[in-house]
Amino acid sequence: MRDNASSSNSGNRRDFLRGSGVAAATAVFTQTAQVGMDEAAAEALAAQGVAVQSGSMKITLQVNGQSMVSEVEPRSTLLDVLRHRLDVTGPKRVCDRSSCGACTILLNGQSIYSCTTLAVAAQGKEIRTLESFDTGPKSVAHAFHQNDGLMCGYCTPGFVTACQALLEKNPNPTLEEVKKGLDGNICRCGTYVGVVQAALDAAKAIKV
Amino acid sequence: MKAFEYVGATSVDQAVKALTPGSSAMAGGTDLMNRMKDYVTSPDRVVYLNDVKELAGISGDPTSGVTILAGTRLADILASESIKKSYSALWQTTSDVGTPQIRNMASVGGNLMQHPRCWYYRSGFGLLPKSADGKHMLREGDNRYASIFMTDGDALYAHPSSLAIPLIALGAKATLIGPEGERTIDVADLYKIPVSNTDTLFTAKPGEILKSISLPASTGKNGSFEARHKQAHDWPLVMASASLTFTGDTVSDARVAVYGVAPLPWRSKAAEEAIKGKPVTVETARAAAAAAAEGAKPLTMNAYKVAMLKTVITRTLCVTVGNRYWEA
Repeated sequence: MRDNASSSNSGNRRDFLRGSGVAAATAVFTQTAQVGMDEAAAEALAAQGVAVQSGSMKITLQVNGQSMVSEVEPRSTLLDVLRHRLDVTGPKRVCDRSSCGACTILLNGQSIYSCTTLAVAAQGKEIRTLESFDTGPKSVAHAFHQNDGLMCGYCTPGFVTACQALLEKNPNPTLEEVKKGLDGNICRCGTYVGVVQAALDAAKAIKV
Repeated sequence: MKAFEYVGATSVDQAVKALTPGSSAMAGGTDLMNRMKDYVTSPDRVVYLNDVKELAGISGDPTSGVTILAGTRLADILASESIKKSYSALWQTTSDVGTPQIRNMASVGGNLMQHPRCWYYRSGFGLLPKSADGKHMLREGDNRYASIFMTDGDALYAHPSSLAIPLIALGAKATLIGPEGERTIDVADLYKIPVSNTDTLFTAKPGEILKSISLPASTGKNGSFEARHKQAHDWPLVMASASLTFTGDTVSDARVAVYGVAPLPWRSKAAEEAIKGKPVTVETARAAAAAAAEGAKPLTMNAYKVAMLKTVITRTLCVTVGNRYWEA
């Protein structure tokens, strides 16, 4: 019944979804897969204060200090919402399996893979992407430039973000700590020597 | 990824109520998200646990025991000085899991409840993958990372949880919470061998989630050592943890667990018996490691794990008493 919003007994369900902050657009229910439980179970859960969300929903994300509103589904990844809905294209989609690091962002100050995070779960948290980072002479980005820390450049946003996260936690990393701190990112061009030196140089420059 | 309903739980009570049949609990998502993307697991509902504040944190003291709530991120374990000092087997293993990003996302509970990394399973052929003519895909196929113990059965994948190994060596208990309340079991008893491709890997009852892990008081010495292909972002090939108590220089009690060699976290009673009553030297450790390898039945492509098991157990026992002889 959920794929047919004109069905006479879909009212409770839709009212409940509205109540839990979901945009209950008719088109949404015709487009999304049928999932989950029956109406009675949904109402029983709602009565116990458990909000179940499905279909299309409006969320607000705090991205680089700005509130951004987007229409998403529960299954939308944070990376796809940032890139395709909000036009925040610094984080890159490469492996989409939490293996390569190109999608790295900072969530509440912690480096994470945005490809493996649900957008809906990022509500209420501080999202920082490299668009917000300093690019001046004392920045991580500048150190990458000075050290030839890139070749094709596709991994670079992820590396710069991981490097920023490392230096915010540990302003004086040793070579070993830099290697361990950046081991969640892959560069298929093999620019690791430049990347590691950039991290060490950026640490020095930021302190001056 | 198939569409699902989403419940952003803010309390354990909400989470347990929302976990109806067909639901999956998700914490960091580093395992479940990838299984959903690959259509290996397609839940009707995802219950998100990472915002449940009462599920995160470390409390207690190594002199009386430490409790780690299941939602605690791996990065928070690494930040705990008392775990680093008194439960170094756990600290070291945690430090080797995944990458900084994964350790910022992944929870202790999610690490313990992850699914095997077997490529046949991850490609949709099930935990006990058989081809159309009835042949076991892992036994007949590429089994380089599979088990070397319990290989007479059909579960040939290697158990995936790194953290289960030090926790079992340390004698940790797991507390589950579900519709019928709480119960506490040994960490090793979280797991079972599935009897079919639709069976579960876990002993948790429907609707139960992992609530906490309790480490007993630290009374002896413990340590871990792992062998892997590369230092950055890799899984252990073979990893072991040991927890030893001493009378003078002599081992009075020992618990040794091994990763990567069986479809369950492998407790090596043979190694434990062999090291008991002896001081830990490279020689006694090698003898214990040789005992541990007895009975191994590798598959066609993973006999290297038998040799690796011996080296890893030898080094684990030596690390536990602070002897890194191979670096000398």
